[in-house]
Amino acid sequence: MSGGRTAVIAGLGLTEFGKIYGRTPADFAIEAVARAAEDAGLALGDIDGLLVNPGVGNDIDLRLQSSLGMRDTRLLATIQGFGSSAGQMVQYASMAIASGMADVVACVYADAPLKEGKRTGASYSGQKRAMRGVGALPAAAGLKAAPERYAVAARRHMETYGTTSEQFGAVAVAARQWAAMNPRAQRREPITLADHQESRMIADPLRLLDCCLVSNGGVAIILTGADRAAGLRRPPVHIWGWGQAHPGYADRRGSEFGLVTGAARSGADALQMAGVGVDDIDVREIYDCFTYTTLVTLEDYGFCAKGEGGPFVESGALAPGGSHPTNTGGGELSSYYMWGMTPLSEAIIQARGDGGERQVPKHDLIMVSGNGGVLDFHSTLILSPHPRSA
Amino acid sequence: MDLTPVLRDEHSAPFFDGAAEGVLVLRYSPNSGEWSAPAASVCAVSQARDLEWRAAAGTGELVSWTVKPGRPGGDGEPAPDQVIGIVELAEGPWLTLRLVDVDPAGLRTGQPVRVGFVRPDGGEAMPVGRVTA
Repeated sequence: MSGGRTAVIAGLGLTEFGKIYGRTPADFAIEAVARAAEDAGLALGDIDGLLVNPGVGNDIDLRLQSSLGMRDTRLLATIQGFGSSAGQMVQYASMAIASGMADVVACVYADAPLKEGKRTGASYSGQKRAMRGVGALPAAAGLKAAPERYAVAARRHMETYGTTSEQFGAVAVAARQWAAMNPRAQRREPITLADHQESRMIADPLRLLDCCLVSNGGVAIILTGADRAAGLRRPPVHIWGWGQAHPGYADRRGSEFGLVTGAARSGADALQMAGVGVDDIDVREIYDCFTYTTLVTLEDYGFCAKGEGGPFVESGALAPGGSHPTNTGGGELSSYYMWGMTPLSEAIIQARGDGGERQVPKHDLIMVSGNGGVLDFHSTLILSPHPRSA
Repeated sequence: MDLTPVLRDEHSAPFFDGAAEGVLVLRYSPNSGEWSAPAASVCAVSQARDLEWRAAAGTGELVSWTVKPGRPGGDGEPAPDQVIGIVELAEGPWLTLRLVDVDPAGLRTGQPVRVGFVRPDGGEAMPVGRVTA
């Protein structure tokens, strides 16, 4: 970005993910920040900015500052853009560093929605809300949890463009192929298209294998100026471009809900800021709360034409060895569900060349999406192991 | 039918008064001549703040839908599947409605829908949709 100091990602901290019980979101957040600082080769005392993204439980907040023993913090806020938060935090942290407001900023997400002995889906069901007023009518009619709310979006795409359940299945199978090579992934056993088609219907057209995991855990990243990062432990990950777009779908005639998402605007803005075209992108880390989300986001970013996401994913483009490596850690479908930190963490791993067996050889430019609400909130990042040439 | 009861609040009182009489009322902006959904605070087209309640025709077209499989209840018997649709009303706004008396296998975008009303125990009368062709 122009002007001021250029921010880079200097540290990544990941906790264990999945059915990790007995630990609070704050426990996960503290561990993630400590690991990110250690990864960067910084002390906790070097951090002078903290951005906190609480998950669905809304359990971590500004008190994390004192829990981490931070003093005289120069930037401190909770950021809540749901699935778009991770990208947003990178953007705000970069601007704070560019302006000189802060020097070393930690951005953290942590959540622990899984409780021992409780059904996984109940964590995100949203059934506790009081039903009052006309705003409650959709939920009262039955559109309560994320699967059914995304299902109507996916169904509209199918009706409009002829997208099929088998094409959604291709997204799930590709993600699982990547996950098999990710030691951190919660689900690594291979699946076939038949497994997808036979998996339990959650909310038609979305089956169990169209839905992301639910995970307990935390992820943190550390940003600082490129000058300071040059002397740190790990190679910096450079931020070439970014964007946000929150469509504000009007529930009325002409709405593009289900057909076009905020990725269209936010992706175009990020590419323009980076000074590159979509064909220059080597690796895609796409927010995949559902298989459909991957498909529609790839269309909106321009990796294929609008409406052709189905044939595109069906071609095997996304899978290992395919033309468009996507969600190379297994995504939220098969690795871990840390909201936008899932695609962002895998992008950092790929940019550093730390992907091991799943490392994509050409990884000069990586596009990262974040999606929140029901396609309501969107952020994009374009990351690279290389500094952007002036 | 397993609709969740909804209670009225100050904003929604005219909507539920209409529903109790079998009339669908929406928000209408005299300034823009455009209709908005019942929950709108400003006109969905012009952002004008002059919304008033006005009776709508109660007809529309199916935009999209989902089917939630019924899960076995306490008695072990599976509950009926829930079919939930987004309906574009003739006036423009979308309503999310339980679709009743419907075969989900035959649903297609663009099918005509007529709005009716049911009153779950413990709640206000609320709209449901019937596919009419």
